[in-house]
Amino acid sequence: MAGSAVRSRRGYYLYLIPGFVGLMLIVIGPQIANFVLSFTAWKGVGTPRWVGSQNYERLLTDDQFWGSMHNTLLYIISMTIIPVLLGLILASLLFDYVRDQFGERLSSFFRAGLYLPQILPLTVAGVLWGWILSPVGVANAILKSIGLGTFAQNWIGDATYALPAVSLVIVWIQVGYCLVVFMAGLSRIDPALYEAAQLDGAGWWQRLVSITVPMLAPEIFVVVLTTLIHALKVFAPIFVLTQGGPNDATLAPSYLTYYHFFTTQRVGYAAAIATVQMILTLGLALMFLWFQTRQAERGA
Amino acid sequence: MTTTLPRLALAAVSALTLMSSAALAQGTTFNIWWFEGAESAQGLTWTKALEELKANHPDVTVNFEQKTFDQMQQSGSMILNSAEAPDILEYNKGNATAGLVASQGLLTNLDEAFTAEGWDKILNEGQLVLSRYDELGVYGSGSIWGISTYGEYVSAYYNIDAFEKAGVKVPTTLEELTAAFDVFKAQGVTPLALGGASTSGQHLLASLAYTKADDNWVNNYQGLKAPLDGAPYLYAAQTLTDWLAKGYITKDSTGMNDDDAALQFTSGQSPVYVSGTWNLGNFSANIKDFKWGQFVIPTPKFSVGSTGNLWVIPKGSKSPELAREFISLLLSTKYQTEQANNGGVSFGADAAQVTNPVGANASAVFKQIADKQGLGFYPDWPVPGFYDVLNQKDTGLLQGTLTPEQFVDEIKTVYDDAQASQ
Repeated sequence: MAGSAVRSRRGYYLYLIPGFVGLMLIVIGPQIANFVLSFTAWKGVGTPRWVGSQNYERLLTDDQFWGSMHNTLLYIISMTIIPVLLGLILASLLFDYVRDQFGERLSSFFRAGLYLPQILPLTVAGVLWGWILSPVGVANAILKSIGLGTFAQNWIGDATYALPAVSLVIVWIQVGYCLVVFMAGLSRIDPALYEAAQLDGAGWWQRLVSITVPMLAPEIFVVVLTTLIHALKVFAPIFVLTQGGPNDATLAPSYLTYYHFFTTQRVGYAAAIATVQMILTLGLALMFLWFQTRQAERGA
Repeated sequence: MTTTLPRLALAAVSALTLMSSAALAQGTTFNIWWFEGAESAQGLTWTKALEELKANHPDVTVNFEQKTFDQMQQSGSMILNSAEAPDILEYNKGNATAGLVASQGLLTNLDEAFTAEGWDKILNEGQLVLSRYDELGVYGSGSIWGISTYGEYVSAYYNIDAFEKAGVKVPTTLEELTAAFDVFKAQGVTPLALGGASTSGQHLLASLAYTKADDNWVNNYQGLKAPLDGAPYLYAAQTLTDWLAKGYITKDSTGMNDDDAALQFTSGQSPVYVSGTWNLGNFSANIKDFKWGQFVIPTPKFSVGSTGNLWVIPKGSKSPELAREFISLLLSTKYQTEQANNGGVSFGADAAQVTNPVGANASAVFKQIADKQGLGFYPDWPVPGFYDVLNQKDTGLLQGTLTPEQFVDEIKTVYDDAQASQ
């Protein structure tokens, strides 16, 4: 009996092969190659030359790299913190207030509208935002036409405004994702909880803080983790809008990796930056998963 | 289930076999790539020449693929290093691009073809500087690895109507240029359109640096022969900040790319725009409301400019003879004249046959610069990745976060680093 159970289970391993091969080819293999390359000097063609830890030593004193790391902290605000908070408030507003007061349709309309940036191709959205934020663009034209010309700014060309402007675009993209996950989560919370709280005189804000947030903890974990990873590898909005400028004000590590890989032909150095990024992301993800498991165990 | 997998595998294998035999049955194919726009003088001319090549060889299947500058700039070397390389392609000139792949043995040597095909009768040594790369991939000496069939240079485009209306004559010195700017500024016009975050920003900067550059400086700078002598750049940076302070350029230019800046010129809002001959097609087609012309930024000798991108034949080309024939076609008087008539910068056009004033003028200006050995090349060439560095630091300068001295220090750090580690 036991023997046949093992044999039949062994059969299942066969089904893991395609996934395993894919994982090796697309994730693990390149990761190892990248790690090895980070100890070489290589121009993308020809033979890589072994240089030991030289690339990593260079990283330690590279202002561009540290500047991009500093910007990453700011990107975490615009990719994780603001979208999660905003998503939470909007989700509970739509779910708890708009739907009750104005009906399912309007609530669905807003949900779809806020999710739209997620399905727009980022390059298209980026080009459009470029037109809006250009000094001779739509935003400034509107401000001038309504007599608020003094507020018109060189949005993506001035270091003071470039990072907030790029962040605004990122928030616009990210909110929909948070919102949709949170709304899905809300639908599994027992409505009786809200009714009871309402009967006890709890307002909208109290219901949000005392019921929604604790009940949504698993969703919040997932969203925070995935958006954090997005923030650590942010590339496309920067590539399309500012190319890391002006004067590196919006530079992110992924863009720096891309820059060294494709334009300076310091492939080894780019690999070193990518390795540091990978370790950071992996570390953060593991920490979060561990924390989540512990929370779940406590809950159970 | 046990029989399905082998059957699938068999099907896949036979499909592959079928595909490869179909490819063989097609006979000779000729794969050609370029990235000049379809509406540019080069694109128009090359398309026509390719038609002639097709007509001459009806048995050959010609496959043309339109690429972009960025595609080739970023992954060109990897494509050439693979089996996917075409039989001939347009490739970016310079040490970091053509030089790199030539030194890695990825291109066909064209020394023999140069004389055998009679290209030596059309191109002079000055037009070959960027065709030659040595074993380290440094331009200027060594074998011929690519052939350019057109020229490029950066100049000031100006609105003739606006100049006439303001009573300003075409400047021949830098002082006259700034005096012209003053006249427009007094009328409340920002005279100079500039894409500060883009190519035209660094080309203006380099044009100003070249007003203080001699042969020695340009040779050292472009050849990465010594640590950067920052004096010409310091002058350029100081001049640029001065122009900014006087309102010749808007501070908003840091948020504008070349398309935005070109639009300021074509829409008539700014009467001057400093950029390259690659705008000729666009301006010819889109400026209807005013007359426009070009003048070269007054410098003692050097202008930003060079021979154009190169036609290279990859090492693995299956039709090198056809590739050579195509280059010969492009260099022929017929297509050089055609190119000038399309508004391009030609080397060997028959002046009597050129009816397009834009192409005639541009070809003449190029000849004038080339004849005095005044092609100073582009400022981003010496160091891979310098293009982005110059753009970033240029915007820093224009928005006032970098002083001219800091600007020079920062680009010198990158330059000297590359110079020391070559």
